[in-house]
Amino acid sequence: MSDVAPVIDAFGLTHVGAVRPKNEDQFVIAGVRKQVDVKATSVEALGSSEKLRGPEAHLFVVADGVGGHAGGERASGFAVQALAEYLGTAAGCFQRFDTDAEHDFLEALEQAVHRAHEALVRESAGRQGGPATTLTMVTLVWPRAYLVHVGDTRAYVLHGGRLRQLTRDQTMAEFLVDAGGLTEEQAKTSRTKDMLISALGGSSMAPNVGLIDLEPGDTLMLCSDGLTKHVDDREIHRLLALPAGAESRCRQLVDASLAGGGSDNITVVVAQMGAP
Amino acid sequence: MIQKKVCMVGVFGTGKTSLVQRFIHSRFSEKYHSTVGVKIDRKAMTVAGQEVNLVLWDLAGRDEHQDISGSYLRGAHAAFFVVDGTRRETLTQLPDLRRIVREHAGDVPAVVALNKADLVDQWALTHDDEALLRADGVHVLRTSAKAGENVEAAFTHLGWAVLAAREGSA
Repeated sequence: MSDVAPVIDAFGLTHVGAVRPKNEDQFVIAGVRKQVDVKATSVEALGSSEKLRGPEAHLFVVADGVGGHAGGERASGFAVQALAEYLGTAAGCFQRFDTDAEHDFLEALEQAVHRAHEALVRESAGRQGGPATTLTMVTLVWPRAYLVHVGDTRAYVLHGGRLRQLTRDQTMAEFLVDAGGLTEEQAKTSRTKDMLISALGGSSMAPNVGLIDLEPGDTLMLCSDGLTKHVDDREIHRLLALPAGAESRCRQLVDASLAGGGSDNITVVVAQMGAP
Repeated sequence: MIQKKVCMVGVFGTGKTSLVQRFIHSRFSEKYHSTVGVKIDRKAMTVAGQEVNLVLWDLAGRDEHQDISGSYLRGAHAAFFVVDGTRRETLTQLPDLRRIVREHAGDVPAVVALNKADLVDQWALTHDDEALLRADGVHVLRTSAKAGENVEAAFTHLGWAVLAAREGSA
């Protein structure tokens, strides 16, 4: 595994879809880095020293304001903003991690999600159906990608020709499949497939946390359920495996979802790990 | 609070995730989901009057496509090895998995769970297998994530062991 960070080609796209009147999805792609910014110096070498720059962290987030809730767009925007701002304040911590520091970092990410959730709950002031949102957030400190996930937005990784889903939907249908109450086939058409059992601002919020070490050549993809309602994993795999840049892959995925009906807002973030 | 990293290690499909789910959430799913990368959960427990927070790193199981990644094992304070008692080959890979853990995490406290003990008719291990492991100084338990058998006991043992190791090194 290479410790040298590769060039990352990342692109994000969001589309209202073909049916909904407004777009309640949000995304962000950001880089965060601690660095000494030399304004003037007599030491020539300082002007170009890479040692003045800490390792860069990359943030990828997709959030889907929950349909049917008032202010879904505001909820997803609020969550994305809160987490991006948190990472801005935590910019100093993206160093090589020891175990304790890594656990502290993960805990802090989770707490940031909890804080955003509590703020949304306060905003709804106990009203049923207040603003809520799903969230899939990847913080990449090469080569390690830290994942925090709530709801049914998803993250995938394409590695060595295999597409793997990193997240599991937090929906009632998935819960019932686990409990043996539905088969997977039944779950695909069940009314419970869109019923979230965990959402920021919702009545329950339980983030899943994980991590994966990436390698040059891997592709990371985050998306809202507006993509996966119309484009199955096989087609996602085919499109992500095509020789193209991140922008082209994003556009092809969104187009595929629109061609399938575009019944929901569609958001896709693709990040390709290039050569070191 | 004392925080300790525990790595769940084994061949794919041995029930690592199910044991964690049983321990953390007291639930069991019949549906198999393979883990990708590492899933992380936490559980605070009191051992010998001390609060300890076990941070459980549920590692993707070894299969023909992937081995256990040493980078995930670094810094582990304990290892929870899981063997599927109905698949003998998951036991035969245990020595190699223990070697990998030693290589990347050192000689950390460990427990071996012979899991799926509820599947009595399909059990593929012998008393001699267990005796050999015990003779090797390994703490062995028959567990069932489905029935909840010995799950708490296995994690509690690790909690004790990591605290004892900490006191021993202090």
